Amino acid sequence: MGGVEVTKIVTSSDPRLLHVLRGVVRYRAQEAGFEESDAEGLAMAIDEAASNVIRHTYGNRHDARLALEIWTYPDRMEFVLEDSGPKVEPGEVQPRPLEDVRPGGLGTFFIKSFVDECSYEENFPAGNRLKLVKYFARKVSASDESPD
Amino acid sequence: MKVQIRKANDVTILDCSGDVDLYSSPHLRETLMKEMHAGSPAVLVNMAEVGYIDSSGIATLVEGLQLSRQTKTRFGLFGLKGNARSVLELARLHKVFAIFNDEPEALEKISSTEPFGGL
Repeated sequence: MGGVEVTKIVTSSDPRLLHVLRGVVRYRAQEAGFEESDAEGLAMAIDEAASNVIRHTYGNRHDARLALEIWTYPDRMEFVLEDSGPKVEPGEVQPRPLEDVRPGGLGTFFIKSFVDECSYEENFPAGNRLKLVKYFARKVSASDESPD
Repeated sequence: MKVQIRKANDVTILDCSGDVDLYSSPHLRETLMKEMHAGSPAVLVNMAEVGYIDSSGIATLVEGLQLSRQTKTRFGLFGLKGNARSVLELARLHKVFAIFNDEPEALEKISSTEPFGGL
């Protein structure tokens, strides 16, 4: 993969353990150089992603497998959340419009708010691998660069 | 997370402390729904000791707001800080809830607050 695998956590899909994931993500993100607010956002993104797995992929089963890998690169951190549930159709995971005020539906919105990239690994054979990427400094796209 | 219930005159205050996440939000929901149905004219949620709230916790608060319309209960939040304040603002829900800085302000203004939110 070319990076340094700093942390891998394998746990059960028990909501009581979500605070452990948040704590590790906060700690590793700040240690890697993110500001406290970014680290808190990353902790929330991973928490929401894991909660989605517990609720939707595992149907609130608390004894299934949930694994988190945290990779640190010179320019970014990657958080890979792996489950062994049924395949998720990425198109079905969409945030609801904010003007539609109702209980629920904000988890995906928060995930996408706090990371720069969010994608499922297409060729993972069993289960799902959701990769969340946060750059230390936002990438500058070609359209953002103005010629002198 | 802990939720403690107390009364200030005829206002019910839920003092929440700790993290509100997928594990703990059902407890907040159960308490909030019970108090909302108990006939109190106003229910306030004290968030001053809440260090973290996720989308399930926010969903619980939105559900409380919706129920407040049915039960004609005035409903508000106070003491929001850090993550709790920023995620409500990010989801643009700070304009939907009646939010007060602290308990004295909440108790003073809840009786004159538009009772059932903007839903």
